[in-house]
Amino acid sequence: MTSSSKFVPEIGRRTLLAGAGSAALLAVTGAARAQDPVSGELVVLNWLGGSELEMMHAIHKAFLAKYPNVTIREVAITGQGDMRGGIRTALMGGEVVDVLFNTWPAFRKELADAGMLRPIDDQWKSFGWDKLVSQSWKDLGSIGDKTYGLTYTFGDRSGIWYKKEHLAKAGIAEPPKTWDEFVASFAKLTNAGYAAPIAIPGKYWAHAEWFETLLLRTAGVETAAKLGAHEIPWTDPAVKTALTKYAEMLTSGCCGAPNTMLANDWDGEADQVFQANAKNYLLIGMWMNNRAKNDYKLVEGKDYGLFQFPSLGMGHDDTSSVDAKELLVTTNGPNPKAADAFLDFWTSAEAANILAKAGYASPSSNVDASLYGEAQKVATQAVASSKLQFVLGDLLPGDLVDEYRVQLQKFLQDPSTANIDTVLAAIETKAQGSY
Amino acid sequence: MADTSASPVREAAGVMQGSPLAAGIKGRRRLLRDTPAALILIAPVIVLFAIAVIYPLVETIRLSFWDIQGLRKPAFIGFGNYARLFADAAFRNTLLTTLIFTIGTTVISVAIGWVLAMLCAFAPQQTLPFRVMIFAAFGISEAVSGYMWIGIYRPDAGGLLNSLIQLLGFPGFAHAWLGDANTALWALIVAASWSGVGLPLMLIFAAIQAIPKSVLEAAYMDGAKPLSTMRHIMMPLSMPGVRVAVFINLLSALRAFDIIYILTGGGPVRSTETVGYFMYRESMTQFKLGYGAAATVILLLAVLIISIPAIIQRTAGAK
Repeated sequence: MTSSSKFVPEIGRRTLLAGAGSAALLAVTGAARAQDPVSGELVVLNWLGGSELEMMHAIHKAFLAKYPNVTIREVAITGQGDMRGGIRTALMGGEVVDVLFNTWPAFRKELADAGMLRPIDDQWKSFGWDKLVSQSWKDLGSIGDKTYGLTYTFGDRSGIWYKKEHLAKAGIAEPPKTWDEFVASFAKLTNAGYAAPIAIPGKYWAHAEWFETLLLRTAGVETAAKLGAHEIPWTDPAVKTALTKYAEMLTSGCCGAPNTMLANDWDGEADQVFQANAKNYLLIGMWMNNRAKNDYKLVEGKDYGLFQFPSLGMGHDDTSSVDAKELLVTTNGPNPKAADAFLDFWTSAEAANILAKAGYASPSSNVDASLYGEAQKVATQAVASSKLQFVLGDLLPGDLVDEYRVQLQKFLQDPSTANIDTVLAAIETKAQGSY
Repeated sequence: MADTSASPVREAAGVMQGSPLAAGIKGRRRLLRDTPAALILIAPVIVLFAIAVIYPLVETIRLSFWDIQGLRKPAFIGFGNYARLFADAAFRNTLLTTLIFTIGTTVISVAIGWVLAMLCAFAPQQTLPFRVMIFAAFGISEAVSGYMWIGIYRPDAGGLLNSLIQLLGFPGFAHAWLGDANTALWALIVAASWSGVGLPLMLIFAAIQAIPKSVLEAAYMDGAKPLSTMRHIMMPLSMPGVRVAVFINLLSALRAFDIIYILTGGGPVRSTETVGYFMYRESMTQFKLGYGAAATVILLLAVLIISIPAIIQRTAGAK
């Protein structure tokens, strides 16, 4: 008893102390939780423009309505073409941001290698993104065993935009499904009075889109991935086959004079299809949907549509080129909690539906797919049912991608077999010093 | 400090009041006395100059000796960037393009500026509003004029130049001016010259306005006709303005970037890529900062070489 009488009070004191301690700790953490909602300034680095920026601002507004204690400061990078330089300049110039938008997997790796990115695997679990975003998008945002990027939109880069009245005027009942039908449609469209069946924006980069899908359709995703990683040379016969197919298209009267192709960027050529009614087919990203709706005031599905790249019958017609935009969070951002909440918000039904209404696809299962228009449905279906390969240009090192696009410009000027060899040899020479 | 100017030693040495030597000493003393005040007054300029010019210059030269690729850790490579630069066919191509672009834009813009300045000088007083409009038009920024020229050169039916060519009945001459490597550089030179006319116009017009009225009146009294006055008086006496205009236009053409970025982006097939654009591409797009810095140093040397005759001339003029 004695011992026990001694023991009991001792236990009692310990329990009391432990209880008091726990209560105090709970009180502190509880108070901290109560005083620590998602709040403060969230700095977002952005380089998007036009109607895409308007869409993003709509999502910002919805986020702020949900988190009224947060303010968003936007660090805007302006420019044209590849925006990586501007982003690097801002970051190295001392801009401290919480979140940045990215579309280049190679750039994500560069940022991660420099220790600038915070992995989001813990957030992926705690926010339950696994239930909303498929593993393939998670893999796309990963480097090794760590996840850095949360894809918020993706696009089918093997879809061809067209205006419905153009095909009707040329007596083409349905968008071409096979390569032969596609090539045969050039003469019909030219006879119907259009300046060129295909709009090729060759000024900066968009002439590469055709090569990239042709490479997938003639050689498959494995070959394209190997080429992107330079595990096969650019002089490989598979690459030459893709460029030869491109040459077939050019010599069939698809695109008008090379000088005209090289004078225009994608938006100028989009004007030629959708405003000037001078050209017919345009292979470009899904942002075209937003531009068609908002800038040209056209009705998706009624005025314009999208059809998947025609099948070539070479054993790889189940492939598509795809792009994606993702959100990244930084290691030095002063407001990681708001940054994580911001990422989570983009997976919400509210954000996904704003994306869908603006003509963009969301990888979140929260999206109401009925909001997608006809073109977006075609694109989403194509992505869902295809073997995918990320846009080649965004996977290549910076100086190689520049040479790649310049050499493809030379190819447009002269698509002969001899020049194909010269062009590929020049890209290969550059590639050998770029990895 | 004790006054030693009238010491017996100095007098013995022949330093007399009012002699040149005494004046020199007095001048030095005044200089010493005034130096602190002068330094204080000039200090803000020195500080600003050091921050805005000297530091970036030194930093650029320093960077040119480093291999910086993206966000990777930089590595010192000495003259490696310079060696690579001259082995790079794309850079060698930019040197020739820069030369053609610089000479082309300078000749065209100064010539047009000169003609317009003469016309403005001869124009009656009632044309003042039009003269103001001419001056104002050339005050437009290069970026804005770049977008204007895109509209002019558009390859399709919406392009002003091609529409005009078709309207005049020469549809065969319609062309994708910026899409053809053979015409893109010249199209760019015309656009850049247009936007560069403002400065020569103003400088030469100012030089003409500075011609003494008595000279022009004497010519008039001697019966000189307007063309003779222009040829024998105004043109020679406006030469100082022309020289300054040539010098400034050469320098700005060497450094040209905005209008190239907007009109052609260096293309097609790098046919309009000048050193200025190359520098931007390597530094900003590909983020090879060291390599871009080396190109900047080469450009700086070119600017210095161009500047030397003008500096020598200014120095000689001051003497």
